[in-house]
Amino acid sequence: MAEKKVGVINSSAPHGRANGRESLDLALAMSAFNESLSLFFIDDGVYQLLGRQDPGEILQKHYQPLFKMLALYDVENIYVCVRSLQARGLTTEMLVVEVEAINKEQLQQQLNLQDQLLSF
Amino acid sequence: MEQQKVKFSIVVSGAPYGTQSGSSAYQFCAAALSAGHQIVGVFFYQEGVLNASQLVSPASDEINLPTLWAALAGEFQFPLEVCVSAALRRGIIDQQEAVQLGLTQFNLQAPFVLSGLGQLAELSANCDRLVQF
Repeated sequence: MAEKKVGVINSSAPHGRANGRESLDLALAMSAFNESLSLFFIDDGVYQLLGRQDPGEILQKHYQPLFKMLALYDVENIYVCVRSLQARGLTTEMLVVEVEAINKEQLQQQLNLQDQLLSF
Repeated sequence: MEQQKVKFSIVVSGAPYGTQSGSSAYQFCAAALSAGHQIVGVFFYQEGVLNASQLVSPASDEINLPTLWAALAGEFQFPLEVCVSAALRRGIIDQQEAVQLGLTQFNLQAPFVLSGLGQLAELSANCDRLVQF
């Protein structure tokens, strides 16, 4: 049986809730068992990848460096909603990992390809 | 025509009280089982780990969700897996971890068990449908 394609949707801002951190923990852990992971960053989720954060100031762990582990763990399908970036005045150059910026139709296509979706 | 049996794995991300997440997940499991489907396992993540607390003590005319989970899992023999790292951060702890951490109390309700995210990967691989609440 072919490995299931699992998509992880990130739509929460990096701080305020632990969604971003716990989603990344999940993705890193699952990547050891599943090589068909895709990560999607939409809406405020795109802020998770924006550099120069210092959440120690608000008593939160700076988990963003762990995004670099995705490449080491061969998680290469990282998609960012280009409209979400534009709406927030962001570009892919401002993000801490290499991503594929995709439009709404491409996003729908990619989500349709997934066997399972988890949303954070 | 005989109905096809579906194997479900469930992810619970919300607390037993304050959100509908845990209650909806429980009702989904009960309905799926009574329709002849299978629950491969339930994975409790994020605030969902609070469903495993034996200290949840609602008023006597209200629902005690951890108790309901324990009864359903006992009757239908499926595992209730609680993410250990999410649990420890939220004060959900079993006897073994309590001993290791030098704590005098523990509160994990049987048959919930602490496990890792690897178990979620296994539940994901072994089901027909993964449903997150």
